[in-house]
Parts: sequence; C-alpha cells; structure tokens
Amino acid sequence: MSCPKTPHILQEYLADDLTPLAKEEIDKHLLQCEHCASELEVLMLTQSQLANWQAERVPHWDRGMELFRREHRVGKQSSSWFSAWQWMPTAASFAMLCLLIFNTSVEVGDGGFSVSFGSPVSDMDAALAAFEQEQRTEIDSMIARFESRQDTNNLQLMQAVMSQTQQATVENLDQIYAYFEEQRRQDMQLMSQGYQQLADSDYATVQSLQELAQFVSFQGAR
Amino acid sequence: MSLIDEDEALIAAALNGSAFAWEKLVKRYESKIYNHGLRLMGNSSDAMDLMQEVFLGVYRNLHRFRGDARFSSWIFRIAHNKAVDLNRKKRLLAGYPVDSDNEGDVFDSFADEEGEEPELELLQSEQNRNIMAMLNILPFEQRLIVELKVFQSLTFEEIAEMQDISENTAKTRFYTALRKLKSVTEEYHVLS
Ligand SMILES: [Zn+2]
Repeated sequence: MSCPKTPHILQEYLADDLTPLAKEEIDKHLLQCEHCASELEVLMLTQSQLANWQAERVPHWDRGMELFRREHRVGKQSSSWFSAWQWMPTAASFAMLCLLIFNTSVEVGDGGFSVSFGSPVSDMDAALAAFEQEQRTEIDSMIARFESRQDTNNLQLMQAVMSQTQQATVENLDQIYAYFEEQRRQDMQLMSQGYQQLADSDYATVQSLQELAQFVSFQGAR
Repeated sequence: MSLIDEDEALIAAALNGSAFAWEKLVKRYESKIYNHGLRLMGNSSDAMDLMQEVFLGVYRNLHRFRGDARFSSWIFRIAHNKAVDLNRKKRLLAGYPVDSDNEGDVFDSFADEEGEEPELELLQSEQNRNIMAMLNILPFEQRLIVELKVFQSLTFEEIAEMQDISENTAKTRFYTALRKLKSVTEEYHVLS
C-alpha cells in the first residue's frame, strides 16, 4: 500500500516554517494514512539516531599558539618595556629615602665632586619641613584626583554591568567574569600610565631633593 | 545567547595580543569544529585539516569580525566554506568528478567514499562509527544539509542563504538524504 502524497506530506512535515493550518491538514492526513505515518516514523527514527552523536575528543594540536606568539612578538616587547617602568617608582622612592635618611649633601669643590652624609647646617631642618609640607599637599591632591577618577570608573562599570545583565535573559557568571577580565586589562593599561606619571613625578621629586640638598650645602658653605 | 559577550571580550583581548584569550577562544570552539569536520569529511585526518584551516581563517580574519552576527555562526560559516573547498580539492586529487546536484537518483553515489573504514576505527564511540558510516553513503551536498539541519539546527531559510540555493532545493535535498539514510536505518534495525 502506498500513497501518492507521501513525499509532499513528509517534506512539509520536516519544514520549519509550517503554518498552523498546514500542520493541522498534515496531521489529519497522517491519522488516516498508514503508509505516510510509518514512513514518517522511520524518518524521525533516522533523525534521532543521527542526533545520538557524542562529541569526539579533539586530538592534541597547537591551537595556532606558535603562529599567534610569533606574530604578536611586537606586543610582547612593549609589555616588557612597561615592566621596566614598573620598578621606576620603587627605585625613585628608595633614592629619595636615602637622601632623607642620610641628609646627603652634594658638594662641588676644588678637589672635584664629594658627597657627605649628616646635616652640615641647622637650616636644613627648616628647609626640609617646608619641602615636606609642600610635597604632602601635592600628594594629597594627587590621591584625591586618583580617587575621584576611580569612583567614576567604578560607577560606569557598575552601570554597564547592570545593563548587560538586564539584557541577558539568564544571568551568567561567565559573562560577568569575562567583562571584568576585559575591565581588568583596561585597568592594567591605566595603571601602567599611572605608574609612568608617578615615576615621572618621583623622578622630579628626587631632582628637586638633590637641588634642595645642593642649595642647602651651598648656603652652608657660604 | 549568554556566551556572546564573552566571545566578544575574548576576541577583543586576542586582537590586543593576548595569547591566553586566543587559546580560550580556540578551546571553546575546537570540539564543535572538529566534530563537524568528522561528520562532514568522514575521517579524522581530514577533520583535523579542516579544523586547522578554520582556525587559521578565523585568526586571519578576526579583525573583520564586527559582532553584528554571533561569533558561533561566523565561525561555522567559515567552516562550511572550508569544508566545501576541502571536499573539492579531495575529489580533484582522487580523480573523481566534483559532483554537482545529483539528487533524485538515490543510488548514484552509494559507493562514493570507500576505503575509509579503518579511519572509523579511531573513533571512541561505536555509535559515532555507525553514524559516520551512515553519513558516508550520502553525496557531499546532502551530507552538508543533514549536518546543518540536524546537528547545527539551522532553518531551511538559513541553509538556502548559506549555500546559495533555493529553500525548496534545500528541503528536497534534506528529504532525499533522510530517505537514503532510512534504508540504512532499516537494515541496521533488522540486523540488531
Ligand atoms: Zn499518505
């Protein structure tokens, strides 16, 4: 027993844009026609048999990492350049500390260049106190600037995360994690800029301290 | 839907030179692409070739990914094109004519790819071996439609657009393919 409608019926049944009316008509035919019904059953069985596929493990491969690393070597170099900057503030702070602790004075005399430790003049204390005060206000204002910038950053971040999670139908930790990862990367860049600024300003501090020391020793020599 | 943003974050980081992000992106899709290749190409070495080609294509074109489509559809589109290319090359090398539309005649390509059974032994799952043996009786065009419809769950409209054929052709091809597979299924059920 066969049915001339079989190809049409089955092909329509498999279509994904079937109108409810057409669906109803097909269902009606399938109830009446044994041949089409059994043909359909086998087709569905075939489909479900295919769908039993279980993911095979991927054999080991390099994932294009070598190519990626080779072609991004330029990027890597710039990051090692950044790490050279990373210890600059530390070095500058250490130099500054030494200058403060030992009250270094640099003297240029007839015999050439000589460095001596300890306070050669009593004016030194007053000069240093004034200098320290000046530095403190400057650092305070710098910290305040940093803090306010950080606050707006955090606010923007929170707002972005909120709108992101509202858009998503399912709250996904993975997604938020990736977002924070990206933010963290941007923060790292910001930080590297910040470091550079700090390094610059520390460097300036060391220079002015040396100038101060020179000035004081010059005063002392007079 | 929920993975879209993470894909985009990984892409942005990879474009910025993060090897970690690139590897994470590859790890996320390699299994899907490899299994896609297994079913389409019928053996693991061609599947590996396909997978490497796909990720090379992704790597070379990553800066062109605009995010107006999902990354998963973008990468599968690349995979689709590479699979068609690879199949064409393979057939030319093997001396077969590149088969064009040969639907209608159920039996004209039964002996299409022979001598690939040893490759199937490499598969971990016996069920997968059966499925691959089934798919291997289909000509490439029909196998492609079955892959896109059953395994990628695309609509006929999407398939038609992807392959530059009419929606009706896509439907007919799918139906023809299923009927061909049906005969194997019936055999399989008689035997077991
Ligand atoms: Zn019927």
